[in-house]
Amino acid sequence: MTLTPPRRRPVTLVTATVTVALVAVHVLAWEATEFSPAALVQGWAGMADFLGQALPPDLSGEVLGAAVEAALVTLYIGLLGTTLSVPSALVLAVLAARTTTSGGWVYQAARTVLSFLRAVPDVVFALVFVTAVGLGPFAGVLALIFHNTGVMGKLWAEAMEEIDLGPRDALRTNGASRVQVAAHAVLPAALPQCLGLLLYRLDVNVRSSLVLGLVGAGGIGFLVNQSIKLFRFDEMVTHLLVVLVLVVAVDQLSALVRRRIGA
Amino acid sequence: MSLRIRGLRKAYGGRTVLDGFDLDVAPGEFVVLLGANGSGKSTALRCVVGLEQADGGTIETGSRAAMVFQQIHLVPRRTVIDNVSAGALGRLPLRRSLHPLLFPRELREEAMACLDRVGLAGRAADRAGRLSGGQQQRVAIARALCQRASVLLADEPVSALDPSAAEQVVALLADLARTGGLAVAAVLHQPGLAVRHADRVVGLRAGRVTLDERAAGLNPADLDFLYGEQGAAA
Repeated sequence: MTLTPPRRRPVTLVTATVTVALVAVHVLAWEATEFSPAALVQGWAGMADFLGQALPPDLSGEVLGAAVEAALVTLYIGLLGTTLSVPSALVLAVLAARTTTSGGWVYQAARTVLSFLRAVPDVVFALVFVTAVGLGPFAGVLALIFHNTGVMGKLWAEAMEEIDLGPRDALRTNGASRVQVAAHAVLPAALPQCLGLLLYRLDVNVRSSLVLGLVGAGGIGFLVNQSIKLFRFDEMVTHLLVVLVLVVAVDQLSALVRRRIGA
Repeated sequence: MSLRIRGLRKAYGGRTVLDGFDLDVAPGEFVVLLGANGSGKSTALRCVVGLEQADGGTIETGSRAAMVFQQIHLVPRRTVIDNVSAGALGRLPLRRSLHPLLFPRELREEAMACLDRVGLAGRAADRAGRLSGGQQQRVAIARALCQRASVLLADEPVSALDPSAAEQVVALLADLARTGGLAVAAVLHQPGLAVRHADRVVGLRAGRVTLDERAAGLNPADLDFLYGEQGAAA
């Protein structure tokens, strides 16, 4: 005797509607962004012209030296922006984690501040600080401190909420204050995750400090912008190659350390 | 009397867990609480240390009560001595207690004495997570001692331990009562351990005390009643 398999489920009205809506939205997006493969094909000459000027990259010692020097500044912007945001992120995270907060309006206020800092892109912070402290890497560091406080504070608060609550309760029963419980039960338990997130943010921040350079906040992004404006595409490619090395190096390093601490 | 509980009541969403629970534990006495799951033993202890809020009744303890747990609840990444010292957080000023490096020297000496009391002074510098379950539970007891409590509560302290480690931990609790003068109350699920080590056995069923006997006088019929079908259903 053969068993009859169950009938396939018929396509429901919901599935059909969602499919049609998705297709419609993509068509709208296609038109709104003036997406046109034809234009790309017709413009091949311009692309070839660009590549002709960009390749081979200008690997002269002078250009390469300047690129490496600027890449180091980019790295330093990312590093300082990350490190200097640790204290503010830590305080806000402790206030915004359910496991450590004193609750009520403190929790709401901390969450709101974090959301605001996260919602304003670092590039916008950079533009604001450029008007305050002038063009240069300092504005980039300030921008990263502000934006990264918002992102890292949120991530840390979540890490602190995910810990095993047992040690916290145990310390509460012996009369430890809220701050003491945070320092001796919550933070030690969340430390590996928080360190992993810190390294991940360093990685991200080095990459965004490149973009900050494009708006005048120093580093190699500034050189990339300059070489584009001067039509020195061969220099630009050199800069991008140095950026590639920097980003891969930071990424590998951060991944290595994160593996070692098991986060 | 070190611990005196009268008429303790607690309900969760209409389900009564404690229904007029009374308990006395004298200094130097080791009392074991027995009863089926859901009979209210753990809830009673959690009310004493403030992890649960009782709906009614009174609780008197000489000083703050200390508690050890089935899941032990040490901080595994910290050293044994740091975990024990954390028992004293309640009496330390904030500036000396934000990090173990700031703990006063006298506290670390006191913590060593507490560790010596549970027989683990030799493991003081190890990370707590590296110790066996039985050793970790003894460290948790040392932490409770470092709290200088006169009442020590233990919520199923040996349910996750092998028989020999369980025997050792319960014997330690009994010794802390007898030679340390503490009032000790422990929830256990092993009547055998209770008979061998406790002074008195208190049985709970449906949130009330239905048995209060000297451990030596405990008989099997009493236990059948505690763990019987109706007891589990109630």
